[in-house]
Amino acid sequence: MSTLTLGIIVIIYMFVLAWLGYLGYRRTKDQSDYLLGGRKVNPIIMALSYGATFISASAIVGFGGVAATFGMGIQWLCLLNMFMGVVVAFIFFGRRTRRLGARHNARTFPQLLGLHYESKTIKVFIATVIFIGMPLYAAVVMKGGAVFIEQMFGMDLHVALLIFTLIVAGYVITGGIKGVLYTDALQAIIMFACMLFLLFWFYHIMGFGFSEGNRQLGEISTLVPDKFKALGHQGWTMMPASGSQQWFTLVTSLILGVGIGCLAQPQLVVRFMMVESTKQLNRGVLIGCVFLIITVGTIYHVGALSNLYFLKTEGVVASDAIKDMDKIIPLFIHKVTPDWFSAVFMLCILSASMSTLSAQFHTMGASFGADVFSKLGRKKDPNSSMGVRTGVLLAIILSYAICYMLSDGIIARGTSLFMGVCAATFLPAYFCSLYWKKTSKEAALASLWVGLLASLFAMLFLHKAEAAPIGLCNLLTGHDTLIDTFPWFAIDPILFALPLSVITIIVGTLAKPRKEIEKDH
Amino acid sequence: MFGIQDPGIWSAYLLMIVCLLFSIWFGIRTWNKEDKNDEQENEQSTDPKNEES
Repeated sequence: MSTLTLGIIVIIYMFVLAWLGYLGYRRTKDQSDYLLGGRKVNPIIMALSYGATFISASAIVGFGGVAATFGMGIQWLCLLNMFMGVVVAFIFFGRRTRRLGARHNARTFPQLLGLHYESKTIKVFIATVIFIGMPLYAAVVMKGGAVFIEQMFGMDLHVALLIFTLIVAGYVITGGIKGVLYTDALQAIIMFACMLFLLFWFYHIMGFGFSEGNRQLGEISTLVPDKFKALGHQGWTMMPASGSQQWFTLVTSLILGVGIGCLAQPQLVVRFMMVESTKQLNRGVLIGCVFLIITVGTIYHVGALSNLYFLKTEGVVASDAIKDMDKIIPLFIHKVTPDWFSAVFMLCILSASMSTLSAQFHTMGASFGADVFSKLGRKKDPNSSMGVRTGVLLAIILSYAICYMLSDGIIARGTSLFMGVCAATFLPAYFCSLYWKKTSKEAALASLWVGLLASLFAMLFLHKAEAAPIGLCNLLTGHDTLIDTFPWFAIDPILFALPLSVITIIVGTLAKPRKEIEKDH
Repeated sequence: MFGIQDPGIWSAYLLMIVCLLFSIWFGIRTWNKEDKNDEQENEQSTDPKNEES
C-alpha cells in the first residue's frame, strides 16, 4: 500500500479522534465531568474503554511475538486477563468500588482510599506514586507508538514521537475523561474488528481447522531453536519445562505479575466509579470478556500458529525468520493478510497505544490536579478543571522527557515495573477498603510503604531483568543482583513484595483495628 | 483436547471458554437486575457535604 493511501487513512482517523475529543469537551461542564464523566457513562462505552485501556500495543505486538517464539503457554495470561481483569475485577472489586466511590463522592483512586481511611496522607501518597511511577509506563507506550509510526511512514523517530504525543495530548486535555472514553470506544471497536478478521483470514489462508492446526504445531516441536531449548522451551503447544528460566518468566512475571497487577491499576479502577449502577457493571463483564478473548486470545493463538505459516512459506520457524521478537507480528500481518488490512491493522496498533496512553495521561493529571494540589485553579470556581488539565500537561511533558532521558533497557521494563509496584503497594489497602472494615489507616499506610519499598528493593537488587539495566546493584556490589543463584534472580518482584504488604496490613489491623466502624458495606 | 497434548496448554483454552460462557450467562442474567443499594449511594454522591476539598 502506498504511503499516500496510508496517510489518507491515518488523517481520516485523526479527524474522527479530534471530533470525539471535541464532543467530550462540549459535554464537560465541571470537574466531576472531567474526572468521572458525571458518573453516568454508558456501560458499553465504559467496558470498551476498560478493555482498550487494558490492552496496549505491547500486548498485541510484544506478547504476540512472545507467543510466536515461546508458544501457547502465554494463553494463561489471556485467561487471567479475562478472569482476574474482568470477572473478579468487575464482580468482586468493581461493584463495591462503585458504591464506595459514590458514598464518599470520590473521583479518583487516591481519593477513594484517602476518604475511606480518612487520611489525607494516604491520598497524597498514592497520588505521588502514580504521578512519579506512571510516566515510566507511559513512556513505554509513547515510544512504542512512535517507533511504529516511524516504521510505517519512514518518518524520523523524534518527529513521530512529537506528533503522536501531541495528538493524544490534544484530546485528553480538552475532552477530559469523556474525550478519552469516546476515543477509547472507537479504538476498541477497531481492535476487535481487526482481530476477528485476522482469526478468520488466517484459518482461511492455512486451510486447516482449529484442532488440526494445533496438532500440526505440536508435531514441529523438534524445530525449536537450540538457544530456546536451553531456556526450557519444549514446543509451541507445550508448557516450558517446570522450574526452567522460561517457566519462571512465564509464570511469575507474565502470568502472575500482569494477571494480578491488573487488579490495582488506578486507571482501570476509576472506571468502576463512572457508571450509575451495579447492573451496568454486570453488563461490562460480558462485554469485557468477549472483547479480551477476541483481541488478546486471537493474537496469542495466531502468533503461535504463525510458525506453521513461516515454515510453509520460508522453510523456518518464526523466530528464525525474524530475529527481533517485536517485529514478528507486524511482518507476519504484512505477509499473511491483504494489503488493505495492513493499513487497518496499523490503526489497530495505534488505537491500542493511544487508548492506553490517554488513560495514563488522564490518571496522572487527576493525581496531580485533584489529589495532590486539589485547590489548584479552584479558588474562583470550585468546579474548574484547570488544575487537572495542568496536571495532564505536566504528566505529558514528564513522560515525553523520560523517553529521551532514560535508557531503552529501563523503558522496556516500564510496564512490568509500574504494574508490579501498583499491585504490591495498592492492592492490600484497596482490597481491605472493600472487604475488611476493621482496617485502620495506620495499617493501610504501613502496607502502602512496605509494598512500595519492597518492590523497589526487589527491582533494584534482586530481579535481574530490572536490576541489570538500572545498574545500581552493580555499582554498589559489582554484581547485577544480590543473589546470583537461579531461580532467585528470575522471580518477579511481585512475589516478594505483595506477600510482605499483605502481612503488614493483616498484622497492623489485628494489632490496632479501626475504632470507629462505619456502616456495613 | 483441541489437538493439543499438554494439559498445561489445553486446560488454559478450556478455562478461557468456561470463563467466556460464565460471562455470557452472568451478563444476560443480570443485564437489567437493579441493586437496591444503588439509589441510596448515588443520592449521597450528589450531596455537597461529601464534596472533596
